[in-house]
Amino acid sequence: MEVTLRIFRYNPENGKKPHYEEYKVTAEPTDRVLDLLEYIKGNFDGTLSFRRSCAHGICGSDAMRINGHNRLACKLLVKDLHGGKITIEPILGLRVIKDLIVDMEPFFENYRSVLPYLINDEPAPKKERLQSSEERERFDDTTKCILCACCTTSCPSFWVNEQYVGPAAIVTAHRFIFDSRDRGAAERLKILSGQFGVYRCHTIFNCTEACPREIEVTQAIGEVKKAIATGDLG
Amino acid sequence: MSSRPAPQIGFSFEYMMWIFTRISGLVMYLLAFIGIVMAFVMGARQQVDIGALARWTFFPNPNHVVDTNIPDVTLGWSNAWWQVMEMLMLFFAVTHGLNGVRVVVEDYMRNSWARALGRGVIFLLWIFMLIFGIYVILAS
Repeated sequence: MEVTLRIFRYNPENGKKPHYEEYKVTAEPTDRVLDLLEYIKGNFDGTLSFRRSCAHGICGSDAMRINGHNRLACKLLVKDLHGGKITIEPILGLRVIKDLIVDMEPFFENYRSVLPYLINDEPAPKKERLQSSEERERFDDTTKCILCACCTTSCPSFWVNEQYVGPAAIVTAHRFIFDSRDRGAAERLKILSGQFGVYRCHTIFNCTEACPREIEVTQAIGEVKKAIATGDLG
Repeated sequence: MSSRPAPQIGFSFEYMMWIFTRISGLVMYLLAFIGIVMAFVMGARQQVDIGALARWTFFPNPNHVVDTNIPDVTLGWSNAWWQVMEMLMLFFAVTHGLNGVRVVVEDYMRNSWARALGRGVIFLLWIFMLIFGIYVILAS
């Protein structure tokens, strides 16, 4: 099938303003959007820049805005876009460096601000810190995050102010707050109850819609709000 | 291991206002419900029209129901019960509403000076509306 790709282009070194360029390619319905980008880069324009690494939906490198929705280019098939025209843009809310590549630093700064690691100063047991299946299940959903930034850059609160920690950072915080082995919940909840914490979330649900790992992001944020309100880490 | 101590996160203004928004929403429903029931008890069930009833519900000022047969119309807000009811409604409605505007300011004003200015204006507006509202209730 014939597909037209309309791709956002910007190169700070060539003096041109940001603009869109169109490329017509022949694609199989089962091709991934990433395949088309690779084809264009290989055959039409080698300067087209985008991030990609594993190409299998795990590394989280190729998040982009495809037909207005944040998606991983490596997980989205042409047939699922239901049309011959595909618009590809960089994810919103972060500075564009070149073409589809954005500066992820504000995103990772927010990520680091919620202490994304296990905190436990108690003396370690001889073998390991044990955890029951139920205790592991409690935060299973939020362990799936691959930090692709699809959720955070689909969030209107983040678009307005990148100081807002954003859904991805809250998901990570959730993963540790509800981990029975962790002892840093109070510290994280204090950070998230602040001015740029969970209360900038207005349950718009864009994050849940965008998540390529199908994490219930808004629910996780709700659970963190509840933990702040009740102190219950169950 | 599930018996982890409840985290002490200390005072959080954002949390306080978040919880206030929810509670005040419910309280306003309760006040409106009490107002409506009392209007019916006072005789509104016989004559009052739906518009007057709605006005009475959210702003129990006797001037709003003059063409009905609610018996204590003439008492106005000199009736302590309705004064308290209206002051509660005033406080919760003004604080709930202006907190909503404050949230918009916190969300959309990126410069810290603009945010501080927005907060200041909202705070003054809040004080002014409360004082002015209480004056109207007590003086009418």
